Amino acid sequence: MITRFWAETVTAVATMAFGLVIVKGALEFGIGWDSSGPQPGAFPFYVGALVALASLGTLGLTVGKQFAGDLALRKSVLDHEQARRVGSFLLPMAGFVILSVTLGMYAATILYLVFTMRFQGRYGWPATLVTALGTAAFFYLALEKFFQIGLLKGPLEPLIGL
Amino acid sequence: MENIANLMHGFSVALTTHHILLMFAGVLLGVLVGVLPGLGAPNGVSLLLPLTFSMDPVSAIILLTSLYWGALFGGSTTSILFNIPGEPSSVATTFDGHPMAKQGKATEALAFAFLSAGFGALAGVILITLLSGWVAKFALRFSSPEYFAVYFMTFASFIGLGGASPLKTIVSMGIGFTLAAVGMDSVSGNVRLTYDFDVLLAGVSFLIAVIGLFGIGELLLTMEEGLKFDGVAAKVRIGDVLTTAAKLPRYWVALLRSSLIGIWMGITPGGPTAASFMSYAMAKRSSRHPETFGKGDPEGVIAPETADHAAGSAAMLPMLALGIPGSATAAVMMGGLMIWGLNPGPTLFTDRPDFVWGLIASMYLGNVVAVIVVLATVPLFASILRIPFSIIGPVIVVICFIGAYTAASKEFDIWLALVFGLVGYVFKKLDYPIAPLVLAMVIGDKAEDAFRQSMIFSQGSLRIFWSNPLVATLMTIGLALLFMPLIGGLVRRLRGRGAPRTV
Repeated sequence: MITRFWAETVTAVATMAFGLVIVKGALEFGIGWDSSGPQPGAFPFYVGALVALASLGTLGLTVGKQFAGDLALRKSVLDHEQARRVGSFLLPMAGFVILSVTLGMYAATILYLVFTMRFQGRYGWPATLVTALGTAAFFYLALEKFFQIGLLKGPLEPLIGL
Repeated sequence: MENIANLMHGFSVALTTHHILLMFAGVLLGVLVGVLPGLGAPNGVSLLLPLTFSMDPVSAIILLTSLYWGALFGGSTTSILFNIPGEPSSVATTFDGHPMAKQGKATEALAFAFLSAGFGALAGVILITLLSGWVAKFALRFSSPEYFAVYFMTFASFIGLGGASPLKTIVSMGIGFTLAAVGMDSVSGNVRLTYDFDVLLAGVSFLIAVIGLFGIGELLLTMEEGLKFDGVAAKVRIGDVLTTAAKLPRYWVALLRSSLIGIWMGITPGGPTAASFMSYAMAKRSSRHPETFGKGDPEGVIAPETADHAAGSAAMLPMLALGIPGSATAAVMMGGLMIWGLNPGPTLFTDRPDFVWGLIASMYLGNVVAVIVVLATVPLFASILRIPFSIIGPVIVVICFIGAYTAASKEFDIWLALVFGLVGYVFKKLDYPIAPLVLAMVIGDKAEDAFRQSMIFSQGSLRIFWSNPLVATLMTIGLALLFMPLIGGLVRRLRGRGAPRTV
């Protein structure tokens, strides 16, 4: 179980780190003044600093409330059951992304839908295959044929002559 | 009267078979997007945008705005029938809409929702017709400091009026601004903030952010809640619609009040969601029988729906006339305008009157089309939600990632969409507002340019923002909005603890 306190704290630290990374990146381009006005780094520098400061503020508030015994911060934001549900959705989705960049998006679509329907949703093979192949075929016809937009393809498409 | 002539010209642009067909297509897609959880209006527009790159801008904007109207209607359908808001802005519709449906008055609830939504939208469009030319003319006097002041006002009102923690709003907005700054700097021509990653050279597209934050983030949240669709079956009969329509004039006070709230919240960047909640609360407070609210009072459907749609259409006014989007969806559309090579803002009215007035005319037609389409297809779309989420969810995932890739045909964007999805999930769980991030990404470069131009005029002195009455007024309003929470808190403390507000 993750309590709200930890979720808030970790997020605030992460956004603060983001702000500081921007500040550091902006410093490389100069934050001062030159012949063409403010240097390119100036605006990102101040915005990044603002993000870091606001994150620090959230962090301070969160820690302060925790010491003051704020009950809302003790509540769970993610219990075991929820984590399981999110994970069972997130992991196949990450798998889909990895397959997309290695095997191409059409192959990834088919494999991903087969996995989620057959092995997670426990549907029969016929329904699974019809949905998976139908979805991929729909996108192929709509994008490649109708809108003339190519999707990311992998090593498999040339094998079946597409 | 000039506006009327312009509008007539607009109708001649919009009233072609091609455009009417696009309206139907857009509304149908929009209802679909609005009905499906995880896909909302900002998302739908982002997913469709890459397909419009090759279209003529007038056709493209008609398609996208029609999708927007459709999504707004679709969102209310699921609110009423399934108690699941398809859109954040239709949350308030569930309060009374679903109880009505459960009492066997689903048709009445739907008809009230659609008709009052149509009324609200028309109110918003009429306002745009009357005011947009005037606002644009006024805005032609703006130069960089005034523009920066208007941007400042927009973001200040998010911080001051947004309802979320001001610190979190600043974080969200700041992230948007910095992401907008990644890549080519339009003033100096330098490439900045890429940290030597080649993939960042072209910048971070707001489309990917919207797809990840709104689409994938929303899906993760939906999964976490273990959503069960438990709907009320609905058949829409024409007779029932007509009897409901005949009852509508009885609620004219609610209609007018809600339209005004919606228009106000649409022009100021409060957005449709805030508008619908505020309108619901106002209706309840001013009702003679507030105890019926939440148990199926028709006014509890009419008030949020009217305001929601009035805000949705009114949000197009600042986008067209000033180049400032009033909602996340308007922000995405404005990004689209820039991609099509148009320059949103007052000059658009003189440069491309056919575009502006064609769009405004299409808003009248599109909403009429939307009401008809949505009444005719509700049973069909309601049946989509009977497909188990374990099938629909992954299909939506595929749509989102394919949409992310088609935005620029970059492999990196697929990864980026996943990252934005996780960020969106965490931000939503911890009440970080997401709309400011998207708005900042779209207008970030313009705001920065306006600021830098002003600094060049003034040789680096901030006093330029108080150098004439116009810019000084804008900046002062901005500062007032920014410190509204602090002032409000002080006033409350001075008066002692007042009665707690109930919504």
